[in-house]
Amino acid sequence: MADALVVSSLAKRFGGLQAVQDVSFTVREGETLALIGPNGAGKTTAFNLITGFYRPDAGSVRAFGAEMVGLRPYQVCARGLARTFQVAKPFGEMTVLDNVMTGAFLRDRAPAAARDKAREAIDFLGLSARERTTARDLTTIDQRRLEMARALATQPRVLLLDEVMAGLNAAEVDQAVLLVDKLAGRGLTIVIVEHLMRAVMAVAKHIVVLDHGQKIAEGAPGDVMANPEVIRAYLGSGYAR
Amino acid sequence: MVEIVAQAVINGLLIGGIYALVSIGVTLIFGVVKIVNFAQGEFVMLGMYLSYFLATRLGVDPIVSLVVTMPVLFVAGVLIQHFLIRRVLGQNDLPQIFLTFALSLLIVNVSLMAFTANYRTVHTAYSDEALHFAGLYVPVAKLIAFAVAMALSGVLWAFLQATDLGKAMRAASQNREVAQLMGINPNRVFAVALGIALALAGAAGSLLMPFYSAYPMVGQVFVLMAFVAVVLGTLGNVVGALIASLLMGVAESLGIQFIGADSGLIVVFMLLLATLALRPRGLAAGVQR
Amino acid sequence: MAIPVRLGVAAAGTIVAAVLPLVVKSPFALDVLIRILLFAFIGTAWNLLGGYAKQFSLGHAAFFGLGAYTSTLLQIDLNVSPWIGMLAGGVVAAIASLPIGWLCFRLRGPYFTIATIATAQVLMLVFLKLRDFAWGAEGTTIPNLGNAPLMMQFEGKAAYYYVTLGLLVVALGITAWIERSRIGYYLVALGEEQDAAEAIGINVPQVKRRIFMISAFLTAMAGTFYVQYIYFIDPQTVFNFSVSIEAALVSIVGGVGLLFGPLVGAVLLETTSALLQSQLGSIAGVQLTVYSLILMAVILWRPTGILGYVGELVARRRAKRPER
Repeated sequence: MADALVVSSLAKRFGGLQAVQDVSFTVREGETLALIGPNGAGKTTAFNLITGFYRPDAGSVRAFGAEMVGLRPYQVCARGLARTFQVAKPFGEMTVLDNVMTGAFLRDRAPAAARDKAREAIDFLGLSARERTTARDLTTIDQRRLEMARALATQPRVLLLDEVMAGLNAAEVDQAVLLVDKLAGRGLTIVIVEHLMRAVMAVAKHIVVLDHGQKIAEGAPGDVMANPEVIRAYLGSGYAR
Repeated sequence: MVEIVAQAVINGLLIGGIYALVSIGVTLIFGVVKIVNFAQGEFVMLGMYLSYFLATRLGVDPIVSLVVTMPVLFVAGVLIQHFLIRRVLGQNDLPQIFLTFALSLLIVNVSLMAFTANYRTVHTAYSDEALHFAGLYVPVAKLIAFAVAMALSGVLWAFLQATDLGKAMRAASQNREVAQLMGINPNRVFAVALGIALALAGAAGSLLMPFYSAYPMVGQVFVLMAFVAVVLGTLGNVVGALIASLLMGVAESLGIQFIGADSGLIVVFMLLLATLALRPRGLAAGVQR
Repeated sequence: MAIPVRLGVAAAGTIVAAVLPLVVKSPFALDVLIRILLFAFIGTAWNLLGGYAKQFSLGHAAFFGLGAYTSTLLQIDLNVSPWIGMLAGGVVAAIASLPIGWLCFRLRGPYFTIATIATAQVLMLVFLKLRDFAWGAEGTTIPNLGNAPLMMQFEGKAAYYYVTLGLLVVALGITAWIERSRIGYYLVALGEEQDAAEAIGINVPQVKRRIFMISAFLTAMAGTFYVQYIYFIDPQTVFNFSVSIEAALVSIVGGVGLLFGPLVGAVLLETTSALLQSQLGSIAGVQLTVYSLILMAVILWRPTGILGYVGELVARRRAKRPER
């Protein structure tokens, strides 16, 4: 099994703030990795660095061997890395179908073919009933599904999901977990940023913990959760015993 | 040669003070309310006409008339925020750009109908006076204008730093949602921001009257200068806008001196385009990453 | 609009438009119609960039002027037919759109708009100074050759009407084709959420470049036509801010991002302008005052424009009826 994503010594500074420092991890093909950490730990920044929205000050990002640093986001996507946004960014005026078609156009120029591929992705994410709904009229969870469907339509090999569970109720979280499982079932390599621990435990076997921009722990869920550094980061030193 | 350059620099700095008042207003509105006020120059123009009528009908010196133009325009700002701007906040770019643009168009053209295109001037006792030192010629009217402009800028800066309302404005400009959670009423803050910005524009108008002619389109020159200064000075940064305005006044003046009488505008535009081409990182919000 | 409905409207409209000059003979009325068609054409060109991709340019006069000057220079200096000059002007404008776009697209939102205003202003200032190359501030008239179709000069207004009608049909055709093709989706996507668009593989800078070129090319053609129509060119006329304003306004009032939006807007604005002209004469400031009030009304109450509002009404009606 190949290395789908190799992040090495990634660093980024914004003015006075070192947002990310010396972050490294490797994701094997087909694996689901969870990137967790307290608020402000640098998780979304890491995503932005990996997908080309920010340029790192140092470090490298290799996807299936190819260097991603220096590429623009659309080039990163073309090379097989798709992402969703923490705050969903649907193309509000377009219908669900048109939104996902726009993603499908990356691989299929002809509208008819793109439409078919889009329908597949929509179906996979359970949005078929909403195909003709205008995106801005969707519920929150459906907007999340749309983000995922749109990203999926670009036929990625690696999918980066940024807090897809935020703001969902318990039943919706269960649905979201199932969706992530389904995506993993397709052989996709997934990196998921998430706050909700039970969701993380349910989908990921490999966890990386960030705090103040640095990696403080990595490993299987059980090991990571028992790690005193991790406990301290989340709950304060009083709890790390 | 040195004298010629020094003279041009002095001229540029003096007018740059006025540009600063206008561009600080634009910056304030952009920073706090997050919209670009295309009509800012028109309020300078209205300030000029107000001063003109006070001077010709009531014999009030234009600089003294500040005490009238500033409050009047402050109120205008509050009303505009309440009745117009408030209704397009939170929408996308189109309403936000074209509302103030429409306002600008409206004010210019109504003024054209009401006042005609004739130039209006006010002649005061000091309009022709000048200080002479070190071989330099410093018109009194422009010097007073510069001094008052800098004083007003200083007062504004102190207000933003030291008072609760000023801090509320800075908070709202940095993070509207959090500011709301802290009990700051954004609409009130925006109204004050608009009011202050328009008051500054009105002040600029009053200060200009002793040495500048009023006509309906005069605002457009100042607002274009102001926009360039805001872009050069890093969008949303009041101090940056001030410094950039002074620099632009100097650049324009040097251009007029060494290239030609009507080249001022071209020099400024070239500055803008050069900045866009070479230093886009220096420009904060509103720029591609 | 559904495709069959739209084709029907287009077909009916074209037939009506084609026979109109046979019925309408008054030069004043024909002039109004020509202005409607011309600004519908310019608006449609603007709409590609401003309506679909939401890059609001207020500097399209730059291309209008470049087209006008290119064809006039070729005509007067080299005796080249304006028909060819029109295409040459389009090419010049398209090429110019590359450096202009490179500069202006470095900014987003209102600052992009300001940059476009600045570019058009700079061009006007430049042409005001080009006395030896291009007649400077005085401008020039083009020689009146009577009826000379090969040099785009005609007796009577009807022929000019058909030229603008042809231009409009071409622009509408291009827009309709773009709407349904990949680039059409990409335009709307980048207009709505530029970052999300890049994240799904859209080469945003390239799409912006391309649509800017097309928009510039078409706008320049209008510039050529206008010079041929009024037999005169000078920088204040062809690089005038009001051209840029009207290009944007007809689309916003009629319906941004909609195929027929600019046409609807042009009908409203040009007839209003003609009425004002005939009732009040040429009082400075009247036309733009009315335009600005219309624009404000649209922004405050119907931001999607006339056609946008009609579309919403239709959609609401349809929602009330059960799905078939």
